Amino acid sequence: MTESVLINLSTAILFLPLLGFIVTLLLGKKVKSVFLFEVFILTVVLIASVVLAFGKLSYFADDKITAEFEWFRLTDTFAIKLGFLIDNITVLMLFVVALISGLVHYFSIAYMKGDERYNRYFAYLGLFTFSMNGIVLTHSIIMMYMFWELVGLSSYLLIGFWFEKKSAADAGKKAFLVNRIGDTGMLIGILILYITYHTFSFDQIFSSISAGVLPFNSDFWLSVTGILLFMGAIGKSAQFPLHVWLPDAMEGPTPVSALIHAATMVAAGVYLTIRIFGLLTADAMMFIAIIGMLSAFIPATIALTQNDIKKVLAYSTVSQLGYMVMALGVGAYKFAFFHLVTHAFFKACLFLGSGSVIHSMHHEQDIRNMGGLRKKMPLTYITFLISSLAVSGIPLTSGFLSKDGILAGTFAFGSLTGYWIFAVAGLLVALLTAFYMFRLVVITFHGEPRDHHKFEHAKESPFVMAMPLAVLAVLSIFIFYTPNPVSAEQGWFLTKWINSPELHTPNSTRFDFMQSAEMIAQTNVSEHSTVLYSEQYSEAMHSAHYPAMFLSLFAAALGIFLAFAFYQWKKVNVDKLVSNVKPLYNFSFNKWFFDEFYQKTFVTGLFGFSRFMSWFDAKIVDGIVNGSATVTHAFSTFMGGFDKYVVDGLVNFMAYLSGFFGLIFRRVQTGKVQTYIVLVVFSIIIFFFFF
Amino acid sequence: MNKLIIPDLINSLNSILPEIVLSFTLVAIILSDLIFHKNKKYLPYISLIGLIITFVFLINQFGKSDPAFPVSSQLSLLSLDPFSLFFKVIILVSSFLIVLFSISSKEIESGSNRHGEYYGLLFGMIIGMFFMISANDLILIYLSLELLSLSSYILAGFVKTSLRNSEASLKYLIYGAASSGIMLFGISILYGIFGSTNLQEINALINTPAASQLTFLISVILIFAGIGFKISIVPFHFWTPDVYEGAPITITAFLSVASKAAGFAVLIRFLKVTFIDSFTGNGYWQLIGYIDWQTLLIIIAIITMTFGNFAALWQDNLKRMLAYSSIAHAGYLMLGVSVLSDQGLIAVLVYFFIYMFMNLGAFYVVMLIANKINSEEIDDYTGIGYSLPFLGTVLGLFLVSLTGLPPTAGFIGKLYLFIALVDANMITVAIIALLNTVVSLYYYIRVLRVMFLIKSDKTVSINLSPLSFVVLMFMAIPTLVLGIYFSPLVSFAKESVQLLGF
Repeated sequence: MTESVLINLSTAILFLPLLGFIVTLLLGKKVKSVFLFEVFILTVVLIASVVLAFGKLSYFADDKITAEFEWFRLTDTFAIKLGFLIDNITVLMLFVVALISGLVHYFSIAYMKGDERYNRYFAYLGLFTFSMNGIVLTHSIIMMYMFWELVGLSSYLLIGFWFEKKSAADAGKKAFLVNRIGDTGMLIGILILYITYHTFSFDQIFSSISAGVLPFNSDFWLSVTGILLFMGAIGKSAQFPLHVWLPDAMEGPTPVSALIHAATMVAAGVYLTIRIFGLLTADAMMFIAIIGMLSAFIPATIALTQNDIKKVLAYSTVSQLGYMVMALGVGAYKFAFFHLVTHAFFKACLFLGSGSVIHSMHHEQDIRNMGGLRKKMPLTYITFLISSLAVSGIPLTSGFLSKDGILAGTFAFGSLTGYWIFAVAGLLVALLTAFYMFRLVVITFHGEPRDHHKFEHAKESPFVMAMPLAVLAVLSIFIFYTPNPVSAEQGWFLTKWINSPELHTPNSTRFDFMQSAEMIAQTNVSEHSTVLYSEQYSEAMHSAHYPAMFLSLFAAALGIFLAFAFYQWKKVNVDKLVSNVKPLYNFSFNKWFFDEFYQKTFVTGLFGFSRFMSWFDAKIVDGIVNGSATVTHAFSTFMGGFDKYVVDGLVNFMAYLSGFFGLIFRRVQTGKVQTYIVLVVFSIIIFFFFF
Repeated sequence: MNKLIIPDLINSLNSILPEIVLSFTLVAIILSDLIFHKNKKYLPYISLIGLIITFVFLINQFGKSDPAFPVSSQLSLLSLDPFSLFFKVIILVSSFLIVLFSISSKEIESGSNRHGEYYGLLFGMIIGMFFMISANDLILIYLSLELLSLSSYILAGFVKTSLRNSEASLKYLIYGAASSGIMLFGISILYGIFGSTNLQEINALINTPAASQLTFLISVILIFAGIGFKISIVPFHFWTPDVYEGAPITITAFLSVASKAAGFAVLIRFLKVTFIDSFTGNGYWQLIGYIDWQTLLIIIAIITMTFGNFAALWQDNLKRMLAYSSIAHAGYLMLGVSVLSDQGLIAVLVYFFIYMFMNLGAFYVVMLIANKINSEEIDDYTGIGYSLPFLGTVLGLFLVSLTGLPPTAGFIGKLYLFIALVDANMITVAIIALLNTVVSLYYYIRVLRVMFLIKSDKTVSINLSPLSFVVLMFMAIPTLVLGIYFSPLVSFAKESVQLLGF
């Protein structure tokens, strides 16, 4: 196993899904079973990514492998290079993407059966996998941006896959437009980086920052650049205030929701933030932490009252992504990525489980019409339960380990800086999460069936749908990450695979605790040199570990207990409670009125503005355009006329002249050729005259 | 000075191996035409094999920079340099494609008893162009130009039964004869002044007071007019629309690409080798005074593209429209030359390479459709996008690329051209060229509109042969791929700007 093998393997992992996309799309109409090709390709990609992860983690665990080639060069100074950056995070992320994508492919074989655009659906999945792999593998911010837009495109295509349905088409558009807002900020950030560093490569940007080069020579602009780049993540990871597109995106087929809108694409925002972590200043991190906190809290309150099984999961996804973003903001870098991985598995499992339920209930998504499905669909129930325990953070699950780590991070952050609000919010969200997840479980699977007709027809899903559920549920168990069920600190995942990040920002722009001890002691070290992550923070996290664990366990247990009390044992009259807190309930049920607010302000404002622009366009711009069109038209008529009358006239005149002088020309003056030649001679004479 | 050494000559034969192979192929075609009188089906295959062998020998010359057929220790008749290699590759690839075109052309099919002539004369053209490209001596330039011209006069009128073929041929002949007369006149004056026809020697003598400025000027302008005829720049373009419309479409395509390439190669060599003053090393050429080449070339380029584009606006015949558009493209290429720098030259080479694929491609689709509907009128293309979705899409691709829109290769060609202009601070010129591109958008897109937006009751169906499909893909794929990944082409062009001795 050498580095070039890894690079070739990565190239194959990147481009094979593209091949699958092209072949499946082109042959989709002619060959009915071409989707099997796409499924086969994804199986190969999955195997390749396992080999890649194994090779990288066991032979090159401490290395960072980069490979690049020059895409094009326009001038001596402007060239764009494409390439790979393969570190442990890359290969783990690739494995997660390939695994979930592969399982979703299998799941879809049964779930999408009978759809009239069956093959096209698989082609789009291939396009998505290609784009997502590109984001993961890239070594430069510009290439990431290109693939970033590509995943946006494939997400748009898949949300609006059933575009005959107006709501689906609208949801696709909404996702695309809302993402544009974030992407614009990201693009501006990229441009600031480029005009400062004349390169797009992460490594080169970081080393320049370490050397003291800053955008516009100010700390402030470094923070702004970080926040602008993070705006891309706000859009893609559906963070507050751009989270409104994700619940609507549930209009897409459910396996797509599992793959794109739960496990991988929405995590790309977190992945981006992980990649640019080295250039984030304290101010930028504070901003990120606040956004993450709001995104974790607000959707969690909304999820309490939703009745659509997929909507609950969607808000839960936003909330969990907010958790990861908050973790990055408070510096719990390792746990943010850890939670990304564990969340990808259990959330994909939940979504596929909901898909299994929806499939067997004949596209019923309202949980009020379900109930008692435990007996009909035992496997779906068990996997759903395991994943729900994981997302609630109950011991022995992977979610417990990662969530606990994040909470410990917020506690450490609170003790070091005094901002305890993140810890409080984290605990509150843990409580809410446990409550709404078990509300979902109880209403859907326990109790008596409410729609007997549909219940009678419900049955366990076929093997290709059950197998992915089982795999994902098993991966939600702690043993794959660490041998110690209560702490991930000693596990291979966090000690061997994920290292603490290197910070590159100037010392003055960091949190105090981010400045390492040696750093402060050694005054002779230059202010801007690269420093490893601080030990102070690790120690604080270590001491916060047990308090955080017990508090979060308490919160989760309380949440589950309340859910059972409300919905299983009916100790509390839910309807009465709801009518008592009607305003609060409505506020949550109507999603904090975000959509209405945006509709009233931005959309209406935009329409007003566009009406103004259309008036401006019709009255003023068109006037100018018409004017210039008239001029162009006149000019080309003139040229045509010139050719016809003046040139020909001149020719005739010359002929006339020559005829007049009675030269030999007169006798052979029969066709155009001759006049042409006269013209040539004439123009040569003009040349003599001028030069 | 003129001591010819026999071993030198024999050594030089090595340098013209591709040309020798071409000549042998020509002979082989004529012989087999004589021997197998009845069966002429394999003539195109002999041609293809000949071209492939030529290509192999050409590749062997890669990276070489030698003089061949020396007349003294410094001077030679031919120069083999990366620059000539680049253009020879263009000529060979386009010849290869033209032979493939001819196989599926109905027009050529109709004159099947004279196929021997057709392919023989085609090779005459190719040999002429090969010598033209590396010629370092005015006499050789003239001779090869005549070889090229005479062959193409006949080919333009190949279909004897077609009236417009014969008319095109006659016009071409008369016009061409006059032009080459003018050029020869210029050459003779130049010889009269310097006593030499070798470009490098003239370059060395130019600064001596022997020359009267006026006569020198006259001779150079006359030679320029002769070359201008070949590349059909305004005001030497008058033959182009008539001949392009009248000639068989394969020959039109060939004239618009290969013959133009050879003409540009001669123009660039003539300009650079004869007039270069000193090589300053910054990539910009310092030309000897007397003539303000840059202004002259810029004016001609602007007039050429403006005329070409505006005249194309009014054409209803697709072939004639492409003829005017090829005049406009000659204008763009001329702009690249007018920068008078290595960067401009790179832009010209890149543009030419791309132009070859997209222009030949457009002509090929027009030919395939004309084979079926016997018409090149744009009105007859109504609804073609629906009845022939594949051909319509591919033609659309070529037209978009000719306009120069991303993500096609045509965009890259124009991009490099504009960058060269902007780098040389010729912003105004760049803006004029940009506006011209906007005008060209109108007539190219008009075809797309007719094909895709207007529905027609008539349905045309064409069974595309596998060969035609492959040929189409051979041109369509580079047109797309070079729009996305073009570094290899640019570095090839960069290595090819080197002319012998400079």
